Amino acid sequence: MQPRQRRSLEFVLDNLVWFMLLAVLAIFSATIPNYFQPGIFANIIEQSSVLGVMSIGLALVIIAGHMDLSVESVAALSAMATGILFASSGIGMGITFTPGWLVVPASLLTGMAVGAVIGALNGYLVIKVKMNAFIVTLSSFIWVRGLVVAISGGRSAQNLADEVRFLAIQRFLGIPLTAYIAILCFVGFSFMMAKTRFGRHLLMIGGNEAAAFRAGIKVDKVLMIAFILSGTIAALAGWLLAIRTSGATANLGTGMLFNAFAAVVIGGVSLKGGVGALPGVYAGVLLLSSINTAINLMGLPPHYTQVIHGLLVLAAVLLDTLKQTIRKKLA
Amino acid sequence: MSEPLLVLDNITKNYGAVEALRGVSFSIAKGEVIALLGDNGAGKSTLVKIISGGLDASSGTMSFEGRDFRPKSPSEAKAAGIETVYQDLSLCTNVDVVANFFMGRELTRKVMGINVLDEATMEAHVAKAMASAGTRIPSLRTKVEHLSGGQRQAIELNRFVHWGGKLVLLDEPFAALGVEQTKRGLQMIRQVAAQGIGVVIITHIMQQAFQVADRMVVIRQGVVAGDVPTKQTNADAVIGMITGETLTGAGPVAGVGE
Repeated sequence: MQPRQRRSLEFVLDNLVWFMLLAVLAIFSATIPNYFQPGIFANIIEQSSVLGVMSIGLALVIIAGHMDLSVESVAALSAMATGILFASSGIGMGITFTPGWLVVPASLLTGMAVGAVIGALNGYLVIKVKMNAFIVTLSSFIWVRGLVVAISGGRSAQNLADEVRFLAIQRFLGIPLTAYIAILCFVGFSFMMAKTRFGRHLLMIGGNEAAAFRAGIKVDKVLMIAFILSGTIAALAGWLLAIRTSGATANLGTGMLFNAFAAVVIGGVSLKGGVGALPGVYAGVLLLSSINTAINLMGLPPHYTQVIHGLLVLAAVLLDTLKQTIRKKLA
Repeated sequence: MSEPLLVLDNITKNYGAVEALRGVSFSIAKGEVIALLGDNGAGKSTLVKIISGGLDASSGTMSFEGRDFRPKSPSEAKAAGIETVYQDLSLCTNVDVVANFFMGRELTRKVMGINVLDEATMEAHVAKAMASAGTRIPSLRTKVEHLSGGQRQAIELNRFVHWGGKLVLLDEPFAALGVEQTKRGLQMIRQVAAQGIGVVIITHIMQQAFQVADRMVVIRQGVVAGDVPTKQTNADAVIGMITGETLTGAGPVAGVGE
């Protein structure tokens, strides 16, 4: 194969998900009435914000060659902590500040601290105790959700202060501020992965942990930071979710883990580690929410969404395998 | 070649009841090339890992440049000036040549207060190092997974030559290299030693050991079975030490060399 052909094929493989997103949007716009309008696209971006943020943390850990199944439950715990402390009805304690806007940093920091603690615990068990990341974070997935149900007693907290709700209500160019937070996260963490030593080290650990260790990279420290980041970012997603729903319920965000997983894998991150970039993950999230929107517009019963998501995950893993086969042939 | 760079004194390593090393003592001087020989399972790689910080010795002491030395991690050994090239390649195949060359010591520049990878400068350094070693790689931005075994090993060799340090450990560095590249690799080792850097090379190929080494250290069943200057021995004698036909601690072979 010619080097030029090879390079263009690699470019397509590396950015496959963006091509898929464009194709899907084009097909939906052409075939589904009312799909092609700015409001719909704004809605797709808005719907992508919580899932998008959650997927960033998950992607970081998977790129480093590990796994974090706890992101969904951590998001729920962060949302519940925000709800219980700062919402005014239901089980909310309705803590207020003067000036009122202080509730924004206060709730954000509380939520993220909760996430960081669970991320650190996951990291400690995986890195220091050397337990399998899948099992450790599966257990966190279960017990953290249990904790959410336990501290809420299965009830919900509603009515967050207007100063926080502002972020979900205020729109700029038709898109709420929360979506800009998500986009900002993608830009920031994409930059971190592509341009900083930490990001480079994370990628190399995912590629060959032994080599990275021998080269003097402090593998344990880098991985620990990755787990803490994953927990903290999941908590940020939970905070955004609480703002969007103006409170929290015990089953908030159930099922998001698999959507996040689907987005990460569709976005071109290999479950084997060391491969993938965050812009692709964002495209994966947008792709999922484009499909959701299409299902809604066509008026299909919502159960079909679940069927389609399941098939999409399968398709994504198949695609991952296929891409690896093609790459092997390229080499 | 008088000043000792690294001195090993009675190093042992146990894996449970298994004694991989049973008391190894030898020393390396500045600018000296030592060939570490021994049969499979003799403990050569274990010894290299202990010196390079990958493993902790069970007992015994090391001193590096006259000071007590006990690296807890490869980064500590590296900070002291010990470079290691491992038998199984230590490259991350999912990133490009430049990233591998600078693995763990990436250059950065400040952009608005943030340390950003300085790709252009790193690429220039790698291009220079590769050119001076005569290694040709189509593009330094190629991911290593697309390169041949020989090219990969060349990257590793160039990496240690570039970084230098004070002591270089090479664990079977030429296993994947062709004849011409091996020859160049051996020249590189002599050049490195000429700069006053100590070199320990593990090899199975007797001919390579005789071409490059000043001294032969033979490990057999976890102890030093022979430690002789290259000029005072020959292949048969060394093989005898490796297989154990010669008595432990055998000295110079009579009638060879001087």
